[in-house]
Amino acid sequence: MCDDIEADFDGMQVKRTLNLCRKGRAHYDSLAVDRLTPTAGGSEVRVEEAVSAAGELLAGADRPLLLGFGRSTLEAQRLGIELAKRLGAAIGDPTSRQGLITEGILKGELPTCTFDDVRNYADVSIYWGDDPSSSHPRHLSRFSYFPRGEKRQRGYEEDREAIVIDVRRSPTATIAADGFFQVPPGGDAAFAEALTAALGGKIPKVEDKKKMLNLATKLRKAKFGAIFTGPGLADAQGDLGWFFSLVARLKELTRFSVIPSLPEYNARGLHQALFDAAGSSGPVTFGNEGGSGLGLPGLLEGCDAVLVVGSDPLAGLPAPLARRLAKVPMAAVGTHRNLTTDAAGVTIPTAMAGLEAGGAALRADGVRVDFDSAVESDRSADLQILEMLMEAV
Amino acid sequence: MGEMEELLIVTYRGIFQEVEEALGIYSDSYREESALLFLDRGDALGRKIQADSPVLLETATGKVVVVAKVSEEPHPGIGFMPRSPWSAQLLPAEAGEGGLLQMKRFQARVGPVGEAVTTIEEIGERIRGP
Repeated sequence: MCDDIEADFDGMQVKRTLNLCRKGRAHYDSLAVDRLTPTAGGSEVRVEEAVSAAGELLAGADRPLLLGFGRSTLEAQRLGIELAKRLGAAIGDPTSRQGLITEGILKGELPTCTFDDVRNYADVSIYWGDDPSSSHPRHLSRFSYFPRGEKRQRGYEEDREAIVIDVRRSPTATIAADGFFQVPPGGDAAFAEALTAALGGKIPKVEDKKKMLNLATKLRKAKFGAIFTGPGLADAQGDLGWFFSLVARLKELTRFSVIPSLPEYNARGLHQALFDAAGSSGPVTFGNEGGSGLGLPGLLEGCDAVLVVGSDPLAGLPAPLARRLAKVPMAAVGTHRNLTTDAAGVTIPTAMAGLEAGGAALRADGVRVDFDSAVESDRSADLQILEMLMEAV
Repeated sequence: MGEMEELLIVTYRGIFQEVEEALGIYSDSYREESALLFLDRGDALGRKIQADSPVLLETATGKVVVVAKVSEEPHPGIGFMPRSPWSAQLLPAEAGEGGLLQMKRFQARVGPVGEAVTTIEEIGERIRGP
């Protein structure tokens, strides 16, 4: 979420931009591409009619499920949780495991800091299963590797070290050069165990013992270390207890902080809102069968209505689960057409946050960012759509 | 069709794919950046798969045809595939370690094929069913 972007528009066409990365430019250019239209029962209808149809669907359901919300503003997320409470529904994003990291931070089990702290103080940045050069193209240049900071005046040339732990030589790994540690698929926990042993002065059980011991020495000597966790780490193995143990060991030796690299602009906001409401960053269920910890197969058991907000779960779920989800009566709220909106019986278009609508979100480091709209639009923000839905149910 | 052999597939997200995703998943450009399998040179040779030719991937969950690419960097025994609707057709649906879905890697049978690359429309139809 970059707060320093300048852009000029001619209607929906982008004319000039400053500080916009390639992904950001595509996001801006998508203003005029494949936008969602309001539909119900296969026909185009007015937005109010689509909302009414979605309301009927949800109000008549015994086990409704609310999916997505990572691309919604903070206000819309909190209203989404209120809607879930009113319906006795489950809500969350069961397709990402990054909530485990955020939850560890919110519980105080993982130390954290802000991106501004990283820019000013960090001398060692570890990107674990994380390729910000692809996922967050300005991460390295604004905060974590290239910039000068208060205590890092000599930048990456002398003051900062980049370490990448990944299964493939990603663009970020190429920048890290000798700081790249390639792990075999599923080998993250063993790598963490070997590193923990090396931090304790033991001989690690890895092929290149010298390289691992050198890494342990660098980490021990770090004045301010930051670990950025990507989907490669979150999806690696088990409950990530091995990662929490390694961070705890590092914390005994020096200062290390963890910041998750999240795929959606307000995934952190969602994790935090769910945690505040129900004590878990993962999907939670309200009502008589309330609780947390259910994966998507469990959430789909007996589910008779789905509301998807700002997401495309059918594009990323394993095919059998996607087919099961597609068979459940569904309403989809979003900005653009996608596989999920094409399968939904009701579709409700919304304005793009940060371009057509203002609001607030949490960066991955937990810092709140408020933003205004940049172009005029006749589409309603997702917050307004959810307010209408609350009334409808 | 050539012989199908097992390969470990690991998914990843790349910037070019994410750019095209933002511009619309029904575009040819999105398919060109997503329906890909990066193979180790030796693995490609062993399976008689040529660079830029169609390749079939098959698991117990589903099958797709994507374009084969040959990596400059060696990674024997592992194929890299952008995380996309194409890779999702192959993911296992059973919960793995700790009761969690495995969204990152899976075993697939891989071989050359004389068919066209699976389109996003075909994938959508498969998901929505009859």
